[in-house]
Amino acid sequence: MTAYLIRRLSQAILLLLVLSIAFFLLVHALPGGPQAVLFSPRMTAETRANLEHLYGLDQSLPVQYLLWFKNVLGGNFGNSFSDGQLVTTEIAGRIPPTLELFGAAMSFTLVLAVLLGVLSAVRKYSLMDYMVTVLAYFGISMPVFWFALILQEFIGVQLHLLPTSGRETCSIYGCATPFDVFVDGAQHLLMPMFVLSLLFLAGWSRYLRASMIEVLNQDYVRTARAKGLSPRTVIFRHALRNALIPFVTQVAIDVGLIFGGAVVTETVFAWPGLGRLFYDALSHRDFPILEALLLLGSASVIFLNLFADVLYSAIDPRIRYS
Amino acid sequence: MRLEQPGTGLFDAVVMPSDTEDAVLTKHRGMLQLITSRFVKNRLAVVGMGVLLTMILAAILAPILIGETAQVHPAIDTHITEALQGASFKHLLGTDDVGRDEFARLLYGARVSMLVGFVSMLVALSVGILLGSLAGYFGGIVDTLLMRVTDAFLAVPLYLILFVISAFFVAGGSDSIRQVILILGLFSWANTARITRGEILALREREFITAARAQGVGNARIIARHILPNAAGALLVNATLLVGGNIITESTLSFFGFGIQPPDASWGNMLASSRDYLTSAPLLVYAPGLAILVAVVSFNLMGDGLRDALDPNTTER
Repeated sequence: MTAYLIRRLSQAILLLLVLSIAFFLLVHALPGGPQAVLFSPRMTAETRANLEHLYGLDQSLPVQYLLWFKNVLGGNFGNSFSDGQLVTTEIAGRIPPTLELFGAAMSFTLVLAVLLGVLSAVRKYSLMDYMVTVLAYFGISMPVFWFALILQEFIGVQLHLLPTSGRETCSIYGCATPFDVFVDGAQHLLMPMFVLSLLFLAGWSRYLRASMIEVLNQDYVRTARAKGLSPRTVIFRHALRNALIPFVTQVAIDVGLIFGGAVVTETVFAWPGLGRLFYDALSHRDFPILEALLLLGSASVIFLNLFADVLYSAIDPRIRYS
Repeated sequence: MRLEQPGTGLFDAVVMPSDTEDAVLTKHRGMLQLITSRFVKNRLAVVGMGVLLTMILAAILAPILIGETAQVHPAIDTHITEALQGASFKHLLGTDDVGRDEFARLLYGARVSMLVGFVSMLVALSVGILLGSLAGYFGGIVDTLLMRVTDAFLAVPLYLILFVISAFFVAGGSDSIRQVILILGLFSWANTARITRGEILALREREFITAARAQGVGNARIIARHILPNAAGALLVNATLLVGGNIITESTLSFFGFGIQPPDASWGNMLASSRDYLTSAPLLVYAPGLAILVAVVSFNLMGDGLRDALDPNTTER
């Protein structure tokens, strides 16, 4: 197991290293490159030279990469082009909102997906099963940004039930009690959370249904039933626990997609998280932030995949890696 | 030749080892019939296929359906005095913010969105099959290298990299369609490569391949004529799901302004320009969104239907 872990970890780190070179080259080879963003036509040649020197752009690309990489190893991703702040500071400020949104969406989805998955597996081919199936197809095929627009219009604009965007309004209008602050935050969270959930809910409930159906057909489940155990005990204590094994690893892999999913949802709802930061950095051609976020996004995918594999062997004693 | 080998792939269950030469020949047709009859029994999949065929037909016949002539182009001509009208007999889905007929634009949008979905799928399939075959067939260092590249493509969050590349490379004008197709295709081949490689690994050591090699058949021909046909089922399912997925991705890119550029209409950029009129002209937002949803649902239903029909382990419902 240790040897396996070391091998996988070194592979993951090597992959990240290659990706960091690819991202660096991609961003610097883009039409115009960083110079197109930093320079204004009114600058004198001397100012340009100073700026180039300041950002290290007067060096050759390999040297620039090595300098950048050396800084990254020390935890320094450089300074943002648009406001000169440290990239790490900007990113750190955006992590809590994204974690809040994802934590809420993932918990909500997990509970609902397990419920729907178990119900539709136990009542296979019932009316409810078909309804869940149809809903899942629509969920998987839904253009997320469009669904978000419709929700904003209906719930926000027409019914005035929830705010259409942002994370809080207390800093503008003021909130008297901590309870008010909580309600304000929850109201802003609800819609983006639901939109983000939809993406995973459909996939997860189908996945658990398939896994549940497979387990329910196994001999030991029949044995449990034959012993006279109540259906509830059989389903939850015997079947579900085993059906959850592949499901949990799938969930761990999907959590790695945190970034990709965040860009669309956070942008449409003006949620001040990492996804929104990415969109803004792209609009401003803020190269250092783009590089850092691309790397961070890939790292989350790679390490959660690894984590899922390890988790799989940890919760299923039949699986052993060597 | 292929079918005489029991247990070679997707169609195992229908080919009995005891079959005589004669029986095998009739089995081939029987197999296709079996798959067709299974597919037809899946009502949802058939509905999906019907909807798709209708949409494709409507997209092809668009100029006739909207009464386009040499002088009148309802999808392009602007009539600023007729902007943002509701549905009427003259404009089935009303008009957009510059007075273009929304129904006409929806049909032309179908042309672009379907085209992007299909051709980007073909690009992804070609790259994926090529790299997957090379990796699976030659193994060793080729395999390791190509699969690490595939891993790298799977590790990059799709929307992040697509946004970055499209934002910088997709220029205005009619070139945007070609560029979006290329970008989508080049970033969605990884799964195809994995599927192809897996199928080839399963087949590579089988006797009929050894036999072909002994007869002096070249590598390229063995892959193309003896191996890939056995992987056709899995790849067909993959292709169907790819089209649906790429239509959504294209619409998302276009909605954020990084994809298909005006004046070309795609369902995604129609939504981008109409989001400001959600309250005053809701049809402009509902129509393209529903078009995307219905098209992608249909592709997914069809893909799953194909998967079930091709899988010998599927039990009859």
